[in-house]
Order: sequence, then C-alpha cells, then structure tokens
Amino acid sequence: MIKYTAKRLFQSLLTVLIIATIVFLLMRLLPTDYFFTEDQLMKLTEEQKTEQLQAAGLLDPIGQQLVRFYGQIIRLDFGTSRRIQSGVAVIKVIGSKFAVSMRLGCISLVISLIVGVLLGILQTLFKDRIVDHVGTAYTIFVNAVPSLVSYSLVSYFCAKVLGLPTLYSTRDPVTSSIVPIICLSLASIASYALWTRRYMVDELNKDYIKLARVKGMSSRDIMVKQVFKNAFVPLVQYIPASFLSTIGGSLLMEKLFSVPGMGPLLTDAISRYDTSVVQTLTIIYAALGVLGVFLGDILMMLVDPRIKLTGKGETR
Amino acid sequence: MEKKNKNDLFEFVEYSPEAAERIGYSDYSYWGSVFQNFLKKKSAVVMTIIFFAVVIFSFIALIIGKYDYSALVADSSLAFTKPNGEFWFGTDNLGRDYWCQVWFAAQTSIKLALIVALGECVVGVTIGCLWGYVRWLDRPLTELYNIINNVPMIIYMTLIALLVGQSFTIMAVSLICFGWLTMARNVRNLVLMYRDREYNLASRCLGTPVWRVLTKNILPYLISIIILRLALSIPSTIALESTLSYLGLGLDINTPSLGILLRNARSYFMQYPYLLIFPAVIVSTITITFYLVGNAFSDAADPRNHV
Amino acid sequence: MKKKSKVLAFILAAALALTACGGGSSSSSSGSGDDGADSNAITDLVTFETQTREMENVFILNTEMAADLNVLCNTNEGLLETDAKGELIPGLATEWGTEDGGLTWTFTLREGVKWVDVNGNEMADCTAQDFITGLEWVMNYYKNGANNTSMPTALIEGAGDYYEYTKGLTEEEAYALDTSTFLDMVGIEAPDDYTLIYHCTAEAPYFDTVCVSACLYPLSAAFVESVGVENVLASNNETLWYNGPYTLTEYIQNNSKTLTKNPLYWDTDCTLFDTVTIRIIEDTTVGYQLFENGEIDHIDLSEATLREIYDNEDNQYHDYLVEKRARKYSYQMHLNYNKLDENGDPDENWNKAAANEAFRLALYYGLDFTNYWARTNYVYPLHCENVTYTMTGLLYTSDGTDYTQLVTDKLGIPDSDGETPRRLDTDLAQQYKEQAMEELAAEGVTFPIEIDYYFVSGDQNALDSATVLQQIFSESLGDDFVQLNLNTYVSSQTQEVITPHLQSFVMNGWGADYGDPQNYLGQETIGEDTAYYANNYSNINDATDETLIATYQEYTDLVNAANAITDDLDARYEAYATAEAYMLEHALSIPTQLEVSWQLTKVNDYSRSNAMFGIQNYMYKNWETSVDAYTTAQYDEFKEAFEAE
Repeated sequence: MIKYTAKRLFQSLLTVLIIATIVFLLMRLLPTDYFFTEDQLMKLTEEQKTEQLQAAGLLDPIGQQLVRFYGQIIRLDFGTSRRIQSGVAVIKVIGSKFAVSMRLGCISLVISLIVGVLLGILQTLFKDRIVDHVGTAYTIFVNAVPSLVSYSLVSYFCAKVLGLPTLYSTRDPVTSSIVPIICLSLASIASYALWTRRYMVDELNKDYIKLARVKGMSSRDIMVKQVFKNAFVPLVQYIPASFLSTIGGSLLMEKLFSVPGMGPLLTDAISRYDTSVVQTLTIIYAALGVLGVFLGDILMMLVDPRIKLTGKGETR
Repeated sequence: MEKKNKNDLFEFVEYSPEAAERIGYSDYSYWGSVFQNFLKKKSAVVMTIIFFAVVIFSFIALIIGKYDYSALVADSSLAFTKPNGEFWFGTDNLGRDYWCQVWFAAQTSIKLALIVALGECVVGVTIGCLWGYVRWLDRPLTELYNIINNVPMIIYMTLIALLVGQSFTIMAVSLICFGWLTMARNVRNLVLMYRDREYNLASRCLGTPVWRVLTKNILPYLISIIILRLALSIPSTIALESTLSYLGLGLDINTPSLGILLRNARSYFMQYPYLLIFPAVIVSTITITFYLVGNAFSDAADPRNHV
Repeated sequence: MKKKSKVLAFILAAALALTACGGGSSSSSSGSGDDGADSNAITDLVTFETQTREMENVFILNTEMAADLNVLCNTNEGLLETDAKGELIPGLATEWGTEDGGLTWTFTLREGVKWVDVNGNEMADCTAQDFITGLEWVMNYYKNGANNTSMPTALIEGAGDYYEYTKGLTEEEAYALDTSTFLDMVGIEAPDDYTLIYHCTAEAPYFDTVCVSACLYPLSAAFVESVGVENVLASNNETLWYNGPYTLTEYIQNNSKTLTKNPLYWDTDCTLFDTVTIRIIEDTTVGYQLFENGEIDHIDLSEATLREIYDNEDNQYHDYLVEKRARKYSYQMHLNYNKLDENGDPDENWNKAAANEAFRLALYYGLDFTNYWARTNYVYPLHCENVTYTMTGLLYTSDGTDYTQLVTDKLGIPDSDGETPRRLDTDLAQQYKEQAMEELAAEGVTFPIEIDYYFVSGDQNALDSATVLQQIFSESLGDDFVQLNLNTYVSSQTQEVITPHLQSFVMNGWGADYGDPQNYLGQETIGEDTAYYANNYSNINDATDETLIATYQEYTDLVNAANAITDDLDARYEAYATAEAYMLEHALSIPTQLEVSWQLTKVNDYSRSNAMFGIQNYMYKNWETSVDAYTTAQYDEFKEAFEAE
C-alpha cells in the first residue's frame, strides 16, 4: 500500500512538472509585445522595450529560461505579480483569494451533497411518483437554463424579494454570501441528485436486493443498509476532487457577485500577460487535479473494502 | 496470454468472414431492436420530433421572416420594440429584427454543437479503443490525457485566437481537439473491461483481426455510453461557446450564436424580458431534448436490454 | 415534504453559522455627520468601478493608469489641486509662479504637512526634499522602470540625461544612488525645506499644470529609508505612507477598496467623507440594481436602462435622471495615411483616398454621427458632438473665453441649434464627394473605397457602436462611395492592428496631460518624434503624397510658431487656434465625439474637481452630496448657477 502510494505520488509529481513545463512553453509562444500595456506599447521605443524584456529575462534562450524556472519551482519561489497586483508576491496574491473561494465552495459543496443526496434518495423511494418527477424536472431545468440567466434571476429575486445584498461584501460576509452560495449549489444539487438516483436505481435491480426482500428484510433496512451504502461508493470517488476544485472558484459566479476569489484570476492573468501568476496557477490546478483523483481512489478503497488498487493492471 | 511453448497445441485457422458472421438466432437485428426499444419511450420520441421541428423551422423561419439577416440595418427609433406583427420577436437594442437573429443564431449553435459532438465522437472512440486495447499505448496516452486535461483550456483558446484566428471552423476544430478526452477515457475504461472476456479471447484465437474484434465484439457494448456522452456534449458545447464568446475568444462577429444573444440579453432582461426569453427557450429545448433522447437512446442501445 | 423542509432549514442555518465563523466582524456604517454642516450630506460615500478597471498598483509614482490614479489621487497630495472649473488652486504649495516666461518655476510649500501611515499616525514631515526624492525615483530607470518619465523628460532640464545615466548602471548601483548626483544633473533645487525650484528645458508657461500629474508627486524620503529601496515597489496599502486626504485602509481586489479620512490632513476646513468605499461591479446593470437597493450612491446608466427610465413616465427614477459633465476625452478620427494590407503591402486604394483632401472633407462635412452619439446619450445626442480637436474647457483666455471658442469662431461653425449637428453640411459634402470621386477615379482608385475599422472582439458594446458607425457611413456617404468593413482584434490593438498598419482609421480620445494646446496639437505634427498620433496612428511620416505632406508641414509650422510665443498667453492661444483651424479645414483629423452620459446620483458633480488635465477628478474632497438622489430640476439649477459664475 505504501509502496503503491509512493509510486502514484511520484508519477503525479512528474505529471505536474510536465504540465508546468508545457504551460511555460505555451506562454512563451505569445508574442513578447503582450508583455506591455497598450500605453507602453505606444510610448516606448523599440530599444526601451528590448531593455525591459531583457530585464525580465524574456530574451534569454528558452532552455536557459526553463532551467531558471525549474530552479524557482524547487525553491518554491513563484515570483512576483506584474499586473494583477504590481510588485506583490504571487503567493500572497493567490493566498488572499483562495480562502474566499474555498469557503464559499465548501459550504456550497456541503449543502449540495446533503440536499442533493437526500433528493436523490427521495426520488428513488418515490420512484415514478410526484417527488421523482419534481426532482427530475428540477434537474432538467437547472441544466437547461444557461447559468448566466439563472444566476441573474436568483440575484434579482433575492435582492428584490428577500432584500439580500446584491454583491459579496467583506464587511457582511454572512448575509452577502447567501446569494453566491445558492447560485453555486443550484447545479451541483441537481447533479448529486441525478447520480444518487441513478446509482440507487441500478442497485435496486440487483439480485441480492431481491434476495433480501424475499428473506423479509424491511424496505427501509434494504434502502439504508444495502442500497444506499453500495450506491454511495461511486459517488464518494468524486468528493475529494470536487472539494479540491472549490479552491479554483467559479469564474462566472465570482465575476457577477464581485467575490474576491480565484475564479477570474486565471483569465485576468492571461489577458494581462502576468506569466508568474499564470504559471503558479496552472501548477496549483494541475496538482489539485491529480491529487483529487488520487484521494478519490483512496477514499473509494476505504469505503468499499472489495476494491483494490494495488492489484495487477489497474482497470480504473 | 497463452504464449508459453503452447504454439504447437494450437494452430491458427484461415480467417473466413462468412464463418465469423454465422450465428444461431437469425431474426435479430441490432439497430432494429434499438429503434423498437427507443420508440417505446414516448417522451423521448416527442422531444426528438420537437428538436427536428426546431431545426427545420429554423430554416423556414429565416425564409418566412420579414427581414433578411445579412441585410439588417440599425435604426435607433425602432430599438427595443416589443414583439408585434411586424417584428415577431421584437427588436434588439439597435432596432434590428430579433426574429431572424434568433433563428440564425440557433442554426449556428446547433451546427457547431452537432459538428463538435460528431468530431469528438469519432476522435474519442478511435483513440479510446486503441488506448484500451493496445497495451503499449496505455502509458503515453494516459500521460497525454493528463497533460491536455490539466492545462486550463483558456490558455489554449487564447493562444489559438491570437496565433491562428477566430472563425467557425477554427472554433469547431479546437473544441473537438479538447473535447475528445472525456469520450476517449470513457471508451478506454469500457474497452479494458471487455478486452479480455472469454469470447474475445476465443475470437482472437480464431485469428480475427484487431479492428474486427474492436468493431464487432466490443463496440456494440459501447454504443449506449457513446450516445449518452454525445447527447450531453451538445448542450455543454453551447454553454462553453457562450463562455468563450464572453471572454472574447469565441466565434467571429459575423456569426452570432445563441450564447452570445443570451449574454447580451442579460443587460436588458429586467426591462425587456423578451430579449432573454426567446433564445433561452431554444437553448432549453435543445438541452432537454438531448438529455431525454440521450437517456432513452442509450437505454435502447444497450444490447443487454434487447430481446 | 415537511421533513425535507426541516432538513433544509437546518442546513441553511448551519451554512449561515459556518459563514459567520469564516468571516471577519461585520460593521455597520453610521449615518451621523461629525460637523453637522449639512445634515443631509452623505458621510460614508459608496461608489463603484467596473471589473475591467480594477486597480493594479498602489504606488502612485509607478503607475500611469487612470484606474489606479483615480484612487491614489486621494491618498497622495501634490503641489497643486484643481477645482470644479478646472483651474489650479493651492495644494501643498501655497504660492507659485514664474518670472521668466516659464523657464524657472518657484513653489512655496505649506508647512506642517505630515506623512501618515495607514492608520493615520504621524510618520514624518512633508518637505521639499520629498519632491526631490519623488522625481529622482521617477527618473531612475531601475527604481521605477519607465513609468511617468515622458513629461519630466520633455520639460525638466537634465531629467532625460539622468534617466539615461541610471540605465547605464547596474541595479545595485542605481538603488544605492542618493540625490546628490541627481541634484547635480537635473534642474530641481530646494534652497530650504519649504521652497522648491524647477528649471525647464525651454519656456513652458504651462508647467504648473503638470504639477497635478503623478510624475511630480512627492515620495517620503523617510519612508524609502525605513523600508529600503528594494522594498518600495512591493509595499502594499498597509505599509505605504500617505499625505493625501484619505488613507487606503482596505484593498480587496475585485471586491472593494476603502478610503478612510486622514486625521492629520493639512486642509482642516475642507469637507471630506468619513470613508469612501469603491465597490467593484461586473457591469452597470448590476450597478443599477445596487442603486435601487441603496447600496451605492451613484450609477452610470446603460443605454437600455436610460431609455426605459426616460421613456416611461411612471418609472420611479424618471424625475431623477441627470446628465453628467463631459469626460475629459476629446475623440477624433485619425486617418491612416500609410495603410498596409495583411501581406504588408500598401493599400493603395485607401492611401490615395486618404491623401485626397476632397475625400477627407467629404467625411468631415458629410458624416452625421447623431445615431452614434445616441448610444452614449439617448436623450440629447447632440451634447456629444465634438467639433474641435482640443478638449472644451481645457483652458481659457484672460477674458474667460474658452480656447475652443476661438477655434470654432475661426472655422465659422455656428452655435448648436439643438437639432442638427453643428458641423454637418450635406450639400457641401455631396460636392466634395463628387469632386473626390472624379479626382480619385483619375488616379485609378476603385469604388466603393473599402475602409477597415477595428474593435476588440467579445465586447458587444463595441460591436454595436461599430454597427451603428457602419450604418452612418453607408447613409451619409453612400454605398457607391465608401464601404466600412468591421474587423476585430483579440487582445491588443497596438500589437494586432496599429503595428502592422491594418486600420483605415482609429477613433481615439485624448485626455490632456497638461493645460496647453501644445499637448493636443503637438501630437499631430509631421517629422517629430514626440508626436504620438502622427507616429502611431496616422503614419504621416511614411506618406508619399506631396500635397498632403505640404499641408502637414504648413500645419506643423503653425504649431511651432504658436509654441514659440511664451510671454503673452492670449497671443499664444490665438496662434494655436489658427493652427487648429487650419488642421480642421483640411480635415487632417476629424473630431467626432465627447462623452456626455447620464446617471442617477446623490453627488453634485458641479462641486467636484473637473480638470481636463491631471489626475485629480476623482479626489473626494469638497463634494456636495445629499442622502436623497438629486432630481433633474435640482441639477439644472446647479448647472445654471455654475455657468453663471
């Protein structure tokens, strides 16, 4: 087990490194003129531009830049932001933002897990009855209405009818978080409900349930002890990944409600050619992605002892 | 598998396509059963009809509309006209007929979504089969998957927009380039499951070529999942396209899509809700259709549900 | 179902408890005024900025971006301030002037001005030395990059040389420099702590108007010493020192910024808010919703919202619509005289047309921009009309006449009748069109002449404006004559369009750096490195048409003649007006619009600084406000009173 974990971790590290390298190279593909603001492009002479690029080390041979980049990664020095927050260390820029995204994301994750799974269970219990149809209708509705539209509607409704603040505010994080959390949860509730129902219905049709029923086990016990437990296993696998992805924030939601989180950071950084921020972010995202899958496997193994990852030929 | 000095125990027979096709139950037609099963789901059939009606109507609508999309003119005195006999869907903020814009955009969006879904499907299934079946391809393809999947798409899209340009074709190709991953992974996992089943082993022993094992023995099992993915990819392409357009990385200005119309309508919908409702209804119809149809068809396509 | 709702309620409660744990303490703003001067005035102002204009840099000397400076002009104070009429008033300098036509400028500084930290604790005195430290910082290549150097290089003796000198050093050497070398090389001196003298490169009768720009702001020498040179740029809002009316107590990127009144601010008689909160919003649609909820104190109205409120008499805000004052940008159409196609070959068709005066004049007299202006100003589109190259309100002659009035008098443009654009003359345009078509056909130009116009992709507003523009070209000039093609660029206009010379024209607004016509007219002169528009947009220096070059030369001579007059300002302005009229008569550049939009507000714009140059228009000082939104009638009174003065 330990050997397996170590091997997986090493592989993941390698993947992250490769991804970091690729992003580094991709960013270098952009014409260097994007390094400057529009004003600078106009006002600086060619000479001044070359000097600034030289000072930033962007004119060195690509190999040399790459070696320097690896050196920085090893020393865990991610440089300073140029344009997002001029002169501030990237770690600080990200540090101030990720907590906000993560807090909103986690609350929403907990809510959607509980509500979504409960809804899924209810739908299975009352399969083909009104609750089931309402649940399905909700799922379809949430998926069918573009999120830009549904967010705007929720925000408008909450502000007008419930008198909640429109934008996120650090002065009043409690009430001003409600609308963003509702928006974040809308879609994930639907997806948890959908999958819970799907897995539980699948499980219900299996032979051992029929046997349990024949043997006189109460419907309630079957549901709780057999069906739900088994149906929960495939769900569990995605929880760590969804948990980690909350750190990344939500682009649309955070823009709409002015949440000072991670969501819009990557697009902002790319459009402003803030290479250190882009590189650091990708390393973080890649690491989280790989870690999420890994933790998911481990968690699944813990929940269901039948699953073994160390066996020959992973078939996941 | 069995390669240890057992060459003399077994001997390859000459491959004969007729012998391979010979089966016991002759009345069975796979696609026939699929459609039979599919037709039993009333809601799905109704939605399919509605979808085709929408597609066909989008062409009719452009013909019967009073204004031609390519000849629209801005007229500020007509701006924000509510739907009436002259402008069936009203006018937008520049006073241009909204009817032809909506239908034109619907065509663009549906076309893009279908092309991308099809492309994803072809590329994804091909690569997925090879990935799962050919053992030595597993490592490199897994690495490739990790790399493409973990580099944020917006970086690729920015680079493409800057270095290649923006057009319908470029958009479609790049969406396919990043969209095949999920499909390929799904297919790969299933292929892994079925690869070493006994009947495949037998088939291989009988000298069946790899492509035939893949297409005849394994692919039928995959069809249901492929169709489900295909169906889900269509709404998500529409959503993704609107997000990219929002960031300025989407289609060029002369090809409006439903995503763009929706994005624009957001600024007006409090005062002029019809600008939001029309495109939103079409998007929702498409999404619901593919959701229901995809589910029904994928059930119908599962050979285990047949006979 | 009942059970479910209980569960839901519980979850919601739990979520609320969680958020409460995560967040900081919540404070509510008090509504009580401190001095009771006007019980109806707002004490804690809440204003907005859109996401694309979020602040990037908190160090005033290191930034040239308006988005940054709109905040930082509140936390830093320079030599002078500007008032609502756009005239200079004392700031840190109590008296200033020149005795030799603008070659030497002496400023007498106010005593007792303090530098404070973010919490308003006294840190040091603000003296002449700090202005020297500030300018040294700006001109030192390694300390400040190349930010804010253009104006000092052009105006202050030796500043450019010092910049070149520091560039030759290593980073360590440049960091270690004290002000002694700087004082030897550059024309700035401080005979005592409260007197500051600048020596200009040439007579610059307008040098004092540069004092409200970021490049001449002071930097506390004690601050640099306490944090170390290498850490100055990395300072954040909590470690910086301030000498302005406010300190930046909170800076949460993409959410809000809070300015808190500086208790030790020198001007104890002025009206300041207790706090000013700048909230970041996605767009003005969200902003309007905020205003409705009373969460912000003013909001700019988008096209759709303005229309709805104006057209609907029952709307709750129908009587509260007020027109803003013009923003400080004067927009012109800058024709490209050396357009290239995508392969880098000259676009002869367009270049010949642009060089033809009749063609340019057909555009000049023929284009009716009313619909284009209506996108900014639905109610009174004509308020957006711009007929001069220089911005209205930039400067006044000794008898109080606006400089642009001189220009319109020379051009013979009538006052507005409120119905048709002042410059528009369709008959004349038709005449020029026929002349142009005849002349150009002889040169082998094919019709319609294709005009390429570029705007940023993904911006619906830009697309809509471009569509309207296309329509205007088609309706005003005819499809047989011209055809406007709409094109987009992805991220950088300069990189993707201007550098490869792809555009036929650029519509751009110029906001003045200092208060002199030279700052406008000097951008279009031929054969001069400092001419921004000539070098970047019009590419006149690469043009080949001799008549065109001769016209430009004549214009350039007129500008230089005007610039040489330094002892008599009225004569100087008169000469500039002649040059500008010449430029417009030959349609070398075509003025298009001013930005006059509409808003709902609780702030009296006629009480706030409104200079056409400098960085101080968003200085929250002496603002008149009211807890209830101002009505249209009230604003009309403000305007009348203001104009009567």
